[in-house]
Amino acid sequence: MNLTQEKLNDHLLLQVVGRLDTTQSDSFEKQIMEILDQGHEKIILDCKGLNYISSSGLRIFLIMQKKMMGAGGQFKICGLQPSIKEIFDMSGFTMIFSIYQDVDEALKA
Amino acid sequence: MIKKNSLSFRIITRVLLITITLFVLIMAGYYYYARNIIREYTRQNAIELAGNLTGKIEQILQPMEKVPQMLASTMEMGLIHPDSLMSILETVVRKNPTIYGSALAFEPDFFPDKGTYHMLYAHREGDRVHSMTLDTEEYDYFYMDWYQIPAILKEPYWSEPYYDEGAGNILMATYSVPFYCLRDGERRFAGIATVDLELEWLTDIVSQVQIFETGYAFMLSRNGVAVTHPDRTMIMNKSAFSNAEEWNAPILREVGRDLLQGISRFREYHIPGRDKLWIYYRNLESNLWSVSVVYPDREMFASLRQMTTMGVVFILGGLLLLTLITSGVIERLAKPLTLFAGSARTIAEGNFDVKLPTVSTNDEMKELHDAFSHMQEELAEYVVNLKETTAAKEKIESELRIAREIQLSMIPHTFPPFPDLPQVCLYAMLKSAREVGGDLYDFFVIDKDKFCFAIGDVSGKGVPASLFMAVTRTLLRTIADKEQSPASIMETLNKSLAFNNESNMFVTFFLGVLDLRTGKLMYSNAGHNPPVVIGSNGNVSMFEAAKSIPLGLFEDFIYTEHAVQLNSGDKLFAYTDGVSEAENKREVLFGEERMLEIVDAGKHLDPKDLIKSMEEAIDNHVVDYPQSDDITMMAIRYT
Repeated sequence: MNLTQEKLNDHLLLQVVGRLDTTQSDSFEKQIMEILDQGHEKIILDCKGLNYISSSGLRIFLIMQKKMMGAGGQFKICGLQPSIKEIFDMSGFTMIFSIYQDVDEALKA
Repeated sequence: MIKKNSLSFRIITRVLLITITLFVLIMAGYYYYARNIIREYTRQNAIELAGNLTGKIEQILQPMEKVPQMLASTMEMGLIHPDSLMSILETVVRKNPTIYGSALAFEPDFFPDKGTYHMLYAHREGDRVHSMTLDTEEYDYFYMDWYQIPAILKEPYWSEPYYDEGAGNILMATYSVPFYCLRDGERRFAGIATVDLELEWLTDIVSQVQIFETGYAFMLSRNGVAVTHPDRTMIMNKSAFSNAEEWNAPILREVGRDLLQGISRFREYHIPGRDKLWIYYRNLESNLWSVSVVYPDREMFASLRQMTTMGVVFILGGLLLLTLITSGVIERLAKPLTLFAGSARTIAEGNFDVKLPTVSTNDEMKELHDAFSHMQEELAEYVVNLKETTAAKEKIESELRIAREIQLSMIPHTFPPFPDLPQVCLYAMLKSAREVGGDLYDFFVIDKDKFCFAIGDVSGKGVPASLFMAVTRTLLRTIADKEQSPASIMETLNKSLAFNNESNMFVTFFLGVLDLRTGKLMYSNAGHNPPVVIGSNGNVSMFEAAKSIPLGLFEDFIYTEHAVQLNSGDKLFAYTDGVSEAENKREVLFGEERMLEIVDAGKHLDPKDLIKSMEEAIDNHVVDYPQSDDITMMAIRYT
C-alpha cells in the first residue's frame, strides 16, 4: 500500500495504490489521521490503484467520512475498481459515501 | 606433536612445500650452472695439458727427425766412405739420448761387393751402443713398412709402432728418410736412413701426466692403435676401430675418424659398463699421431657433488630448525583460538559468564577477544529480554486461550441443536484466523415457532474485533427477547452499537426470522454478504444485495426488511467474506464463483456435509498459506 497526496485547486487529492488489508491498515490509518488533523476542507480519495480492501480498510474510509462530515467538509471517493465497487455495494457503503467516476468528476461536483 | 588438521600444520606444510620447491629449483640451477663452468674449465685445462704434452713430444721428435735427414743428405753427397758409415751411426746414437737406434739400409746390391742385403744399424743396449750389419735374408727389410712405404712415397715417413724382431728387439716407431744417388747420370733411389724411437721411453713421458686420481694421457697412432698407454697391455694392441666393435662403443669410431681428419675435440666418452669419462684429443704437428687426455667424470665433478651434498644437508637442517621454531611460534599465537573455541562451547551451553582467555597482544586475537566479550554481554542481555518477552507472551497467549474459550462458548456449537424441532436442520462452523476473531453466528427460537438466526462479521480481526463481536452477540440475545421483526432488532442493535463507538468499528450482519409453521422468512441485511438459497427444485441463487449499511455506524439509520417464502427442502447457505476471500500464497482469492460451484455441486447434501465439502475446497485452495481472515459458515434446511 502506498499513499500520496497533492493539492488540486481547493482540494487535497489522495491517491492510494496497492492492497489495503488488515496488516496494512494500521499504517494507513496513521497517515490518514495526520492528514485529517491538518484540517482540509475538501478531500478526494482516488482509489484507481487500489486492488483490495478489507473491512479494516473500510473502517478507515468510514472514519474519514465521519470526521469530514463532522467538520463540515467534503469527502469524495473516486476511481473504484469493479471488485471494490462490489464490496461497497454489498456492504451498503455506496449509500454513505460520495462516489465519483474519476478525479475530474469529483472536482466538478 | 603437531596435529594433522591443525592451523600450524597447514601453515608449515604450505611454507615448507614452497621453500622446498624454491630450494630444489635453486639447487638445480646452481648445479647446472656450476657443472657447465667446471666442464668449460676442464676443457681449457685439457687443451692446455694436451698442448704442453704435444709440445714436449714435438721437442723430442723434431730434432730426431733431423738426424736421418742429415744422414740422407750426407749419403747423397757421397762424401763418406762406406766403411766409416757405421761409426757415424754409433756417434749419432751415443750423442742423442732420445734416439734408440739409427740405421742406413741400402737397395739390393748398392755396394756390389756387399751383397743383396746391406743394412748398418747402431742401437742402445743399456749404457753401450751396439752396432751391427744386417746382410742376410733373415732380416728381410725390403718388405718392412719403415723401408717400403717411404721408398714408394718418396718422402720421409713415421712408421706405425711395431716390434722390431731381429734388430732392435723392442717396441718402437721408426722415422725413415729416403736417399738417392746419381748412377749413369740418373737420380735413383738408393736406400733409407732411419732413427728409432723407443715407445717405452715415450710412454714414460706421457705417463708423467697426472689428472686427478685416475685420469691419464695416452697416444694413438694414425690407425688408432695405442702408442703409449698407462695400461701397457693396450699398447700395440687393437685399433680404436676394432675396439669400437668389441665394446659396442660407436664413440670410439667417431674419435678414430676425427683423428684421421686431424680434428681436435673435447667430449664425453662413455663406454657401456664403464665409468663415464671426458676426453680431449689432438694430433701432433709432425705426424699423424695423437695425444689424448682423459678426465674421469666422477672425479671432475666430485667437488661439485660434495658441495651440493653439503648444501642439501645444511638446508635440510635449516628447514627442520625453521619448522620447529615456526610451529612453536604458531602454536603459541593460535593457542587463544583453541581456548576461544572452548569458551564458545561453554557459552553455547548457556553459561554466558564464562571467563575468556587472556590476550596480552594487541592484534587480531585482541579483536576476537573484544568481539567475544561483546557477544557475551549481548547474549546475556538478549536472553534476559527473551525470557521476559516469552513470559509476557505466554501470559498473553494463555489469556488469549481463555478468551477464545469464552468466545467460542458464546456461540452455539452443539449439533444438531434442536432435536425436538424437526423443521430445522442446521450446521455451522467458525474458524478464527487468530486466537480470537470478529465473526459470529447465532440461532435461537423465539416464541416456540419462530426461529431466529444471524451471521455477522466485525471489521478487523483479533482482540478488538472479538470484543465487538461479544457485545453484538450479547445485545442480539437481549434485544430479540423484546423485538420480533428483523428490522426493529437491527435498528435497536445498531443504535446500541453506534452509541459512543469511538473506534468506528462496525459489523456486517444478516438476521433472519423464520416462521416454522408457514416457512415465511423475514430477513434484514446490514451490509453482509447475501446468503445463498438452494431450492428443493435444485435452483441455486443469492439473496439480493443489501441496501443497508453495517451496524454500528450511524445511530439513526433505518434498516429495511424483506420477506421470502421457503418451501420444504429449501436450504440456506450463509457465510462471511473469509470464505469468498480466502487467499492462497499467490494472493489468489477463493472467489464467490468457486463458492457457488461448490454449493451447486453439494446442493443435495445435508447442511453438515455441505459445509464440510466447502471447508475441504477452501483447504485445497489455501493449502498451507496462513489463514487471512476468520471463516464462518452456516447452512439451514427447512423441512
